[in-house]
Amino acid sequence: MNLLFFKLKEVLSSVLPIIVTVIILNFTIAPLDVSLIIRFFIGAVLIILGLAIFLCGVDIGISPIGNSFGSTIIKTNKLWIVVIAIFIVGFFVSIAEPSLRILASQVDFVTSSVISKESIVVIASIGVGTMLSLGFVRILYNIPINKVFTILYSIIFILALFTSREFLAISFDASGSTTGAMTIPFILALAHSVSAMKSDSKASEEDSFGLVGIASTGAIMTVMIMSIISKTDASTVSLEYNDPIFTSIFSPFIQQIAPTTIEVILALLPIVIIFLVFQIFSFKLSRKTIRKIVMGLVFAFIGFVLFLVGVNGGFMEMGVAIGYGVATLENKVYLVIVGFFLGFATVLAEPSVYVLIHQIEDVTSGYIKRKVVLIPLAIAVGTATALSMVRILVPGIQLWHYLLPGYVISLVMSYFVPKLFVGIAFDSGGVAAGPMTITFILAFTRGAAEAAEGANVLVDGFGMIAMVALAPLIALQILGFIFKVKSKNGGIEYSDE
Amino acid sequence: MSSFKMIDVEQICIIINFGLGSKLLQIAKNYGISNGTVLLGKGTVNNRILDFLGLSDIRKEIVLMVANKKTADQVLEKLHDEINFEKPGHGIAFTTSVRLLVGIGGYKSDNLKERRGVDDNMYDAITVIVDMGKAEYVIDAATKAGSKGGTIIKGRGSGIHETSKLFSMNIEPEKEIVLILSEKDKTEAIVSSIRKELKIDEPGKGILYIQNVNKAYGLYK
Repeated sequence: MNLLFFKLKEVLSSVLPIIVTVIILNFTIAPLDVSLIIRFFIGAVLIILGLAIFLCGVDIGISPIGNSFGSTIIKTNKLWIVVIAIFIVGFFVSIAEPSLRILASQVDFVTSSVISKESIVVIASIGVGTMLSLGFVRILYNIPINKVFTILYSIIFILALFTSREFLAISFDASGSTTGAMTIPFILALAHSVSAMKSDSKASEEDSFGLVGIASTGAIMTVMIMSIISKTDASTVSLEYNDPIFTSIFSPFIQQIAPTTIEVILALLPIVIIFLVFQIFSFKLSRKTIRKIVMGLVFAFIGFVLFLVGVNGGFMEMGVAIGYGVATLENKVYLVIVGFFLGFATVLAEPSVYVLIHQIEDVTSGYIKRKVVLIPLAIAVGTATALSMVRILVPGIQLWHYLLPGYVISLVMSYFVPKLFVGIAFDSGGVAAGPMTITFILAFTRGAAEAAEGANVLVDGFGMIAMVALAPLIALQILGFIFKVKSKNGGIEYSDE
Repeated sequence: MSSFKMIDVEQICIIINFGLGSKLLQIAKNYGISNGTVLLGKGTVNNRILDFLGLSDIRKEIVLMVANKKTADQVLEKLHDEINFEKPGHGIAFTTSVRLLVGIGGYKSDNLKERRGVDDNMYDAITVIVDMGKAEYVIDAATKAGSKGGTIIKGRGSGIHETSKLFSMNIEPEKEIVLILSEKDKTEAIVSSIRKELKIDEPGKGILYIQNVNKAYGLYK
C-alpha cells in the first residue's frame, strides 16, 4: 500500500459524509436540480483526487521545506535573524493564501469596494507575519502558551470594543482564512522543526502545536486596527442570489481551471522561493531529497488545482442552493439541523485538518489517534454552523454574543487542560476554516442569509468562519480534559478501540 | 555483572504498516506479553515508478516487546497466524537476545512446538544512528550492497561531539535510526558499504551496531 493509495482511501472516507448528506437532503427537504447534482458529483471526484494528491505533495514537498527552513533559521542562533526571516516568510505565505483572497474579494464585493481586496490581504498578512515570529520566539524561550493566548485575546477584546459590528465579523473571519491549506502544513512543519530539537521531550511535544493559533490572532488584530483607524463603515449590499443557469455541466469546471491555476501558483510561489533561497545558501540537501521535494511541490500544485476546481465548480453553488432552499422552508428548525450536518461533514474533507492530524499522530507517536481528534472537531464545526444559522434566524443575536463567552471559556480552559491540547486546540481553530469549509459552508450561509427575512448578508453571512475557528478551541480542550482525567484514573492503559 | 544469571529472554521487534501497532499489541497481550512500545517510523518500498514519483515511503509502526523465550515464540506464532508475515508487505518480525530483564514478573509460558519462522541465526539486525536526513543515504548504501530495504525511526540525541544551546533551549539534534535486517552472509558487505558512504568511522558521523537475530518472520529472498 503506497502513500497515494493510502491517502486516497483516507480522503474517500472523509468526502463521503458530505456526499451522503447532500443526497439525503435532495431526497427529503431540499430537492435540487439534476445538473447541479451531476456537477456536485464531478466536483466530489475532483476533490477526492485532488485532496489525495495534494496531501502527498504536502508530505514529501511542503513539510520538508518547512522543516529544513525552520531548523536552518534556528541554527543561526541570532534572534533578529529569526524574527525578521519568520516575519518575511509569514507575510508572503499569508499574502498568497487563496482562502484569504477569496474572503477579501467577497468583502470587497459586498462593501462595494469601500474596503479593497488588496488592503485586507496586505493588512492581514502583516498581522500573520508579526504573530508568527512572536510565536516562534515563544517556542524558543519556553513562554507558556496559555498566557500568550490570554494576552493576545485580551488585546483583541479591547480592540473589539472600538470595532464596528461588520468589521468584527470580517476580522475574525480573516483570522480563520489566512491560515489555509498551503500555509498550515508549512507553519506546522516550522513549529515542529524547532520543537523537535528540544531536549525536553515534553516541551518538544507541546511546542509542536500552537503556532498556527498564534499566527491567526495576528490577522484579527491588524484588521481591527485598520477598521478603527480608517473608520470605514461597511455599507451593506445584498448579494443577489441568482438561479444558476443550468445549461452546461462541464463549463463551470473548465472556466475555473485558468483562474484557479493562477491562484495556486501564487500560493505556492512563496514556498518555492523559500526552497530556492534555502537551497542556494545552505547546500545540505541531497539530490535525491531535492528531486523528492520538487515532486512534492508538483503534487501539491496539481492536487490543489483539482481540489479547488472541484470545490468552486461543483460545491459552491450547491452550498448556496441548499442554504437558500432550506431557509425558505416553513419550519426554520431544519436550517439549524442541516447546518449542523453540513458543518460536521464538510470539515472532514478539509485538507489542512488532515495535515494537522498527521502531525498530531507523528508527534505523539500515535497516542492521540485520528478518530479521537476528528470526531470532536466535526461536532464542533457542526455546532458552529448550527449556531450561525440560529444567528441568521434570530436577528437579536449578535456575533459577539457567541465570540466573547466562547473565547473566555476557551481561555479559562487553557489553564486546566494539558498544554499539548491547548496548542492542538488553538491550531485546529485555524485549521478547521480551510478552503473547503470556507467555500462550501460560507456559500451555504450566504444562501440562507439571502433567503431569511431580515438577515443581513454581510453581518450574518460573515462571522461564520469566526465561529468555525472558535468552536474547535472548546471541543478539543474538552477532549484534552478527558485525556487528562482518563490517564489519571485509568493509569496504566489507554485504548481507543 | 556476574550476578546476572544467563536468562532466556527475547526482545521482539515487529515492523508493520501504520495503524496496526495497537491491534498487534492487543493480540500479544492476550497471549501473555505484558508490555509493548509502539514507535512510528517509515519504510521504503522498492518500486521504480513510486520511487521516481517520490512516493516510495510508507508509514510504519515498530512494536517492541520483551518476553521470555517461550512466550515470545508462542506470541510470534500467534501473530504470524493473524497477520501473515509471509505475504509480502505484511510486515517483518524478529527477535534478539536480552541479557537482563527487570520490571516484568511472572512469565506465562506453555510448551509449544516450534514451527515455521526462519530459524537460528540466519539474520543480523543492523542498527545505524545518524543525523536527521542521512537515513536515506544509509538505506541507499545498504541497498547497493544487497539489502532489501530498511525502516527509519525518528529520534533525538547527542553524542559527546555535539552539545549546544540555542536561545534558551537545550538542543538535542534530531537523529534517524535505521533498522536493517540482513542475511548473515550479506551483513559484512552492507556494513562496509554504509561505513564507506557515511564515513561513520569519523567522530560525530553516527554509530552502527549489529545484533544477532534469533528468529525472523516475513523475510523472503
